[in-house]
Amino acid sequence: MMEMRISGLGIAGAFGCGTRELRAALEHGGVKPSFCADAGAQSIPVYRASTTALERYLNKRVLRRIDHFSRLALLGAFEALEDGEYNFDFIPARERLGVVLCSGFGALSTTFRFLDSVMDDGDSFASPTAFSNSVHNAAAAHISMQLGITGPGQTLSQFDHSFISGVQQAQMWLEEKRVDAVLLGTVDEYCSVLGYCWERFLGIKPSTQMRPFASDSSSALPGEGAAFFLLRPQQDGSAGYARISGMECGHVRGSSPRLGSGAPLILGCEGYPDTMNMYREHLPADAAVACYTPLYGASPVAPAFDVAIAALALERGKAYPAPAAPPAETGWATLSSGSAVETLTCVDFGVGGEYSALHRARPCL
Amino acid sequence: MQKPGVGISGAGCVCGAGMDLATAYVSMLTGERNPQAPQRFSTTHADTYPVFEILSPLPAPGTDAELLRTTRLALSAAHEALNDAQLDRELLRGLRVGVCIGTTVGSAMNSEEFYRDFRSGKTPDMAPIERYLRSNPAAALARHYQLDGPSQVVANACSSGTDAIGVGAAWIRAGLCDMVIAGGADELCRTTYNGFASLMITDTRACRPFDVSRRGLNLGEGAGVLVLESDAVLKRRGRRARGYVLGYANATDSHHLTAPHPEGRGLKAALARAISDAGIEAQQLAFLNAHGTGTPDNDKVESKVLCELFPEVPVVSTKGYTGHTLGAAGAIEATLTLVGLEQGRIPANAGFSQMDPALGLTPTTALTPVQGSIAVSESLAFGGNNAALVLGLEEHI
Repeated sequence: MMEMRISGLGIAGAFGCGTRELRAALEHGGVKPSFCADAGAQSIPVYRASTTALERYLNKRVLRRIDHFSRLALLGAFEALEDGEYNFDFIPARERLGVVLCSGFGALSTTFRFLDSVMDDGDSFASPTAFSNSVHNAAAAHISMQLGITGPGQTLSQFDHSFISGVQQAQMWLEEKRVDAVLLGTVDEYCSVLGYCWERFLGIKPSTQMRPFASDSSSALPGEGAAFFLLRPQQDGSAGYARISGMECGHVRGSSPRLGSGAPLILGCEGYPDTMNMYREHLPADAAVACYTPLYGASPVAPAFDVAIAALALERGKAYPAPAAPPAETGWATLSSGSAVETLTCVDFGVGGEYSALHRARPCL
Repeated sequence: MQKPGVGISGAGCVCGAGMDLATAYVSMLTGERNPQAPQRFSTTHADTYPVFEILSPLPAPGTDAELLRTTRLALSAAHEALNDAQLDRELLRGLRVGVCIGTTVGSAMNSEEFYRDFRSGKTPDMAPIERYLRSNPAAALARHYQLDGPSQVVANACSSGTDAIGVGAAWIRAGLCDMVIAGGADELCRTTYNGFASLMITDTRACRPFDVSRRGLNLGEGAGVLVLESDAVLKRRGRRARGYVLGYANATDSHHLTAPHPEGRGLKAALARAISDAGIEAQQLAFLNAHGTGTPDNDKVESKVLCELFPEVPVVSTKGYTGHTLGAAGAIEATLTLVGLEQGRIPANAGFSQMDPALGLTPTTALTPVQGSIAVSESLAFGGNNAALVLGLEEHI
């Protein structure tokens, strides 16, 4: 595959907003979730993300009409472009910039707000604003409208594997030379219905703490946020954070990720016992691993946050401290804090058996 | 430089016009259409907005009640397409087969029954959520056929089906897959019915794309699927492609959430890039299958662009026979475009009787013979997405 370079990062999660705040959370080693009391449910811990920083880019009048989901996406997009040294007043070749937006669930709150309007006011008085903003590609549309981007746009939705689909899409556009750069982002939001599902499916309690490697009971805590990447062909220009040098995706029913012995890995473990079993089965016994989900919780955005952390680690050439250590019986070593890294692979297994492995290397000129 | 076309070895379609592709096309050629009030759900609107609903039971394997109807529609169309390509699960084994499906409803967690209970403080049963979680259309198809290639759901609103086929063709061209099951699927439901009614773009009569009296769209449901196959695998199987995906492009308006750019900026760009991608000239087109929803805005912008770019090319909108099937529309229309090329004739643009002088476009008014082996199928979408596919009967022009 053609290598891509990450030349800009835009991130917003429970750890804060931007690379500086993510780096700080990584050094600090933890983020405390907040508590959300949901209708008919107990208060459960959730990794929420704030979009206050978006006011740096858009005025309140514009923001009033944009929901939390699209705000998260806009924040990620603006941050990634700014980080990639774009000047918003003059984005060159807007028709050569592609937007790929990935989401596991789309604009959930607005979807339910539309249903509220039907149930409260009747079929004839359903909210047109909520309907048009509930469509999955509304966030991508807000990005293209606010930034004047007229290149190709794609919104993808594949639950936990939405992000890897997006990486594949971005790579394809760059390889076909349809675009000069791609703004690739993943966004998902928490809402009370999701919290209820979490409680019912996973038995999450107010006292639950995220234990990403848990194999006895579920400890996945819901998260939300946005992670955006400005991607360019590797051969094009400056070094950036890291190179995406390879990618694999498939299903355990037919294949397995090819992971080298002793390779440093960032694992997408989120505290689901079923997926933990897949990691145990498919990872080399001598892997050196780190997992950072206790900084942002479980959500379809988590694999993208993993990639952002890998990019930051590769940029400085050293791993960040891992907030959780793998259980001794796995045989895996913890990727030690400060150890030199030249390559990193982010590995993710979904509950349905889908897997992805994204190989990254240090930037090069 | 002209890129190689990507072979289409099979096609399947289920929609309001017919339960399979051949039946649907025959019914269109004879001018049949029968939009009516929704049968599977009721609403309290004072007016009735007719729809093109599938009332017959879905063919196997679209019968699994544990899946969303959208996914079952996709399974039915995929089954027809794979049969058409003379493929079965056994033959797919050992091949790298991808799945790319466009949808809108299939990716939305919007069970009214569940949510009504939730918001009233009850403890709703989780079955509707479980059904939603196992019904991602691409993942469900991959699971059903035990596939291990890439799988992707495109959620670009009404251009999703067109985009999914374009993505699938790119996977073949890049050597990522030997074969791709690509298309789109969407079901009719109260959420989209109420949503489109709230936007005041649904008609109380049968839709009339491009006609001076048009008042809006009719919703529909269905699925369209193409089997895309690499040249090497086609040769190994001793099969000849029915047709080819010659070009594809997608561009955004950057204008409005639900209204197209008044000058058709994104549509023009998508069409120009798709034509360039295929390495052809506009005058080589036998016909163009338009988005043609019947809404005042869509038809106005689309006419403007088509009159400017393709003044001599016959235009038909098939939505007068199928309704607007949202995420399935582009895929259903791609299958119909393929059959139109094969048969060398396209149906009358149902609902059209009088040209709108503000549009200046006259689509087909009767069953129309067409000459040539290349056609375009295009889609516009909420969010300002525009997508175009160039399909042909020959790999090289």
